[in-house]
Amino acid sequence: MSDTTHILVVQDSEQCGETTSVLSLIEPLYGEGSPTLFLLAFEACDDSLFGHFHHVYRPKPSGSGMIDIPAMCDAVEDLHAKFNFDCILVPATRVGRMLAPRIARRLHTGLVADVVEVKNDGDRPLMLRSAYSGNIMAAIGAVGDGPLMMSVHPGQCRYSKAPSFATQVHHFETGTRSKSSIRLLSTEKKPLHYDIRKSDILVSGGGGAKKHFALLTQLADALGGEVSASRKLVDQGIAPRSIQVGQSGKIVSPKLYIAIGIDGAIQHVEGMQRIETIISVNTSSKAPICALSDLVVEGDAKDFMEKLLTRISQDPQQGESR
Amino acid sequence: MRMVCVVKFVPDVDSFSYDYAQDEVRRDQVRMVLNPDDVCAVSFALKMKEQDGDSHIEVVTMAPRSVKPHMEDLLRLDIDEGTIISDPAFAGSDTYATSTILGKYLESRKFDCLLTGTRSLDGATSHVPAQLAEVLGMDQMQDIIAIESLDSAEAVFTIEDEQYLRTYAMGMPGILALARASGYALPYIAYEDFDKDVSDKLTFVTNATLHCAPDEIGLSGSLTQVVHTYAKHHHTRAGKIVHTDDAGIDAVHSFLEERGYV
Repeated sequence: MSDTTHILVVQDSEQCGETTSVLSLIEPLYGEGSPTLFLLAFEACDDSLFGHFHHVYRPKPSGSGMIDIPAMCDAVEDLHAKFNFDCILVPATRVGRMLAPRIARRLHTGLVADVVEVKNDGDRPLMLRSAYSGNIMAAIGAVGDGPLMMSVHPGQCRYSKAPSFATQVHHFETGTRSKSSIRLLSTEKKPLHYDIRKSDILVSGGGGAKKHFALLTQLADALGGEVSASRKLVDQGIAPRSIQVGQSGKIVSPKLYIAIGIDGAIQHVEGMQRIETIISVNTSSKAPICALSDLVVEGDAKDFMEKLLTRISQDPQQGESR
Repeated sequence: MRMVCVVKFVPDVDSFSYDYAQDEVRRDQVRMVLNPDDVCAVSFALKMKEQDGDSHIEVVTMAPRSVKPHMEDLLRLDIDEGTIISDPAFAGSDTYATSTILGKYLESRKFDCLLTGTRSLDGATSHVPAQLAEVLGMDQMQDIIAIESLDSAEAVFTIEDEQYLRTYAMGMPGILALARASGYALPYIAYEDFDKDVSDKLTFVTNATLHCAPDEIGLSGSLTQVVHTYAKHHHTRAGKIVHTDDAGIDAVHSFLEERGYV
């Protein structure tokens, strides 16, 4: 075995593109250029990420098209036996969250979840993540001889470098020692919703706007934006979970975020990242979110939305394409 | 049908508040609650038992002995037994060591289905359900929003992701981890049971029973270590305050106009 650092990235088999975020942590950990990068790419994913890696390993298709977590663990275990990875990175997606803990047990190594940043503390890498619903940040180190292993928060890590490696693709067969009993019975596509992570303008409703969801939509339309919501509105069944902002929802980075009737609980604010402009509307200007806002409107949510809609409708250019 | 619910009592972090101006967490009145995802797991088990009176529910938690009153409240519902796995030697266990300890106990139990929550309010790693599955050699699925059917041979359930609702079948025994979005809610304790003595249903298990090796548990058995914690800095902005009168609405409109939004 060479002295080169070997890093394995395990691609998500459902949300293949989310794996890109993982790449952002490699340079802070190991510097530029030196490690050998391996990708374990499952059958469902195309080759769009391959150029970021020196070696891509593709397990022989199982033919079932299923998520077979134990078999995926077999594949990682087999590759680790061959290459003795120094570091294993997994995107913290739905599948990644089931897969990474099992791999960690197989390899008897520690695992840190939802890492957003890494730092080197002398020779020791520290993995940073939030805890207590975003109330606290924790710097966590690994103990023991196993590979450094983490799942990486896909919403908070970004990577934009162009692929640059002459990649070697290897097809390999894993053993059949583990087999899942899980069978997919049906798949139903949910009604099409926009992706609030891609919105430039979000009009976001909280408990103070729960009786006025239609007005949120009207205001978002008038501004050429989309509606998002706090967990309170989602838990009460007023808004779909796909538009929830926050620690347990999505991380959003619009240019304009209008928070209407949202107090600014920490778990909500955790979902607001790199926002250019924040306007908050709240009956109390002492609500926590007001301290984070560029403009604070103290008052009733319905009153604000109706009046602003009326004011916008008086604009001469209203109705022109934006 | 024997169901085991693995649960955790956590600080109610939703009751933390943050003073962004002072950059500090306020947790003066934080209380312990049953983790919301785990509430769904126990609630579903109770719903199953309502349909099949012969079903048996055991609730298991690894926690300090101080959670006893919370566990007793659960046992005042139609739960058959409660087990608190507690030993000073377990203190400081990370998820790896926790799954070792819980796994050791669960290996000794006979059950058809293990129900739990997907993530906890405090750590939110989702490691323990998956690592228990690895320890016990079982299948596991998380983010479950509905369990359509469950018997000793098979479970049928639905998970929700960004684009799809997917329905799966899984052979039992296996591990089903529910999401808060499932909405399964606990019944209220009957008024006459408020002070019911449930001590005969409650068992404490220590390492004297489990015989975990010292290097498998607590800080010695943990493969991760929290080096330090800190409050996250939030970027405050000196926002101008207006009201919903005409002047305020004009100010908002001008603000939006200057930035090209109207």
